[in-house]
Amino acid sequence: MFHGVMISLFTAKKEFKIRQDMLRGVYEENLSILGRGRPALSRRRSFLLKGILLSAVFSALAILMLDQHTGSLFVPAKPTAPISTIPVRLPPASVSAKLTPELDKYPLLPAVSVTPEDAVNASEFSAIMNSRNVSLMRMLGLKIKTIMIDAGHGGSSSGTTGKMGTKEKDITLDIAKKLKAHLIKSDLHHVLMTREDDSTVPLLDRVTLVREAKADLFISIHLNYLPKKNTNIIETYYFGSSDDKKTLKLAEQENAGSEYGLSDFREVVEMLGKTMKLQESKEFAESIQALLFLNSKKHDEDLQNHGVKRAPFVVLLGVDVPSVLVEVSCLSNPEEERRLNSESHRENIARYLATGIFDYLNKGARTYEAKR
Amino acid sequence: MKPKDEQKEDNVLFVGIDLGTSRSVICSSNGIQEWIESYAGWPKDFIAEQVVGKPVLFGAEALQHRLSLDICRPLERGIIKEGIESSERAVKEIIRHLIDLAKPEPAQKIHAVVGVPADSLKVNKLSIRRAVAEYVHTLMVVSEPFAVAYGMNLLNDALIIDLGAGTIDFCIMHGTIPSEEDQRTIFTAGDYIDEQLFNYLIEKYPNSKFNKNMVRQFKEKFSFVREINEQIRVELPVNGKPVMHDIKDEIRRACESILPSLVETTTEMIARFDPEFQMKIKNNIVLAGGGSLIRGIAEYLQNALKEYGTCKVTCVAEPLFAGGDGALKLAQDMPSKYWETL
Repeated sequence: MFHGVMISLFTAKKEFKIRQDMLRGVYEENLSILGRGRPALSRRRSFLLKGILLSAVFSALAILMLDQHTGSLFVPAKPTAPISTIPVRLPPASVSAKLTPELDKYPLLPAVSVTPEDAVNASEFSAIMNSRNVSLMRMLGLKIKTIMIDAGHGGSSSGTTGKMGTKEKDITLDIAKKLKAHLIKSDLHHVLMTREDDSTVPLLDRVTLVREAKADLFISIHLNYLPKKNTNIIETYYFGSSDDKKTLKLAEQENAGSEYGLSDFREVVEMLGKTMKLQESKEFAESIQALLFLNSKKHDEDLQNHGVKRAPFVVLLGVDVPSVLVEVSCLSNPEEERRLNSESHRENIARYLATGIFDYLNKGARTYEAKR
Repeated sequence: MKPKDEQKEDNVLFVGIDLGTSRSVICSSNGIQEWIESYAGWPKDFIAEQVVGKPVLFGAEALQHRLSLDICRPLERGIIKEGIESSERAVKEIIRHLIDLAKPEPAQKIHAVVGVPADSLKVNKLSIRRAVAEYVHTLMVVSEPFAVAYGMNLLNDALIIDLGAGTIDFCIMHGTIPSEEDQRTIFTAGDYIDEQLFNYLIEKYPNSKFNKNMVRQFKEKFSFVREINEQIRVELPVNGKPVMHDIKDEIRRACESILPSLVETTTEMIARFDPEFQMKIKNNIVLAGGGSLIRGIAEYLQNALKEYGTCKVTCVAEPLFAGGDGALKLAQDMPSKYWETL
């Protein structure tokens, strides 16, 4: 009898303790929503985070080492001057008249940690590859049929976390879904996503997905985190770049009617692919950065333009087609974190990204129209 | 709990709100339990306002007058939906209406705990807080399945599956506030069944006239999985004349369309824990939400999980109010010092 009473007392005390802990947990969670506390990472989560970081570092190292041996993924940097700023082209009024203020009002800041331009091999194509103003892709008449949107992180990889507890993976997924909805409306492209829910998709699987889907364009959405700076910035990355010359504009004209999809053009892509990818990715990045920044600036006067940059992101390295990684916002900025928690802000970001994509896709059409 | 006594002295009304995609519920410490369909509608014009006689209508009444209204179901797919301004406005109106239904005394403080679909918490925390904050003194938001678990005292070794309209939320309880890894959300839920059923019926009876609202009512009345020994017939107009239609197969097919993802996610959730803990969870799986009223669903899940060993799946007694009750219990148990600092 006494033993039974003791057991039930012990159970009740244990349950009381569990309840107290839960109530405190709810309270702390709500404090963090208000930005008055930081959600603690669980032991399991921090272990996972460390694991992910370690594996990311090892993957990056492995790729870098592999590349040094084969030279296949990216060519060692030429000792040329680093890009300090990359001028961003103003899109035409027809593309997004309402969304686009004057570009000149917003000076580009010096780029941070920029890698120099790649050298381009395949000497027989040097003329093509050095062309600055002509897109190889359009010159060859290739079409963008399938667009792959990559919502950064997901599942066990949360990405960055704001002071209110907002997770990068949730915001990127929501923006990616909204972007998909915008792109689908145009009814011109097949739009896919690397993930449509909160699932873990390793970087290399994302690359595989892009390849298997024969995607022609790839955009990866991320959020920045700058713990030491109370700023909000936008920046867009691509892997590779090139200089072009105008001699090959003729070829662009000759190939304008081709109906080949980019992914169908494997052999050409293999020969010219690296250059084309660099070229197109850069143009793509410029469109995204220009329109996203210019329009986002309307909502945040202090927003800084960190421009278009190059960096060896695994997810960009492995993709054969024009690809960018865009840091659409900065989660370390408390005010921006608040804004990211509103539907309308995320919807705006998606809209501006869509405008950037359409701007990039319309560049060929504009060139053609100008000639006529 | 001791703090409750302190709180009573302050003339506080505690409310638990379950903000659902399909239905929203309020349970308050004065004993009131009410629910409405999660719809708000505003008269389209001056004439419509004359007809309906109110500036804003809610729930079933809004649906009834839907042709005269700009109607909004703001929490579709478990999040505050696009259209944004009207959706946020609709959430506010629904909250205001729910609070009115709880009949607070003048000058009485209201402390609210709001249960929302787990996915909403991720990116819409502030929107939800904003929508609710105008009508209460202090509030906390929690995920719906957690509120259900807390209310039913399922604090340890349990898996709560909240089968809602917009989402199915999974939440594993292991003696602590569930972390993100303990929760999953899938979107093949009640609305998905409605869509499937609508398509099946159009395919089978192309000449019959019916709409999505009618289809939802058929689902709520007749839903089942596996086999049942009864006819399911409904009256639908064909060329204006009422005709009886057999919809049993379509109901079953539509309801069963959510089962593969339900079983798969359940096994995935359980498999992430160590074997000893898995056994305990498998014997304490609880279905909540409107979807738990689908006849045979608990038995189906139990049967599907048999190959992984013994398991027990039960349904909550009152799926409509389980979330609201849990949220109210949380509100009442919450120490007053926590309310004060929020």
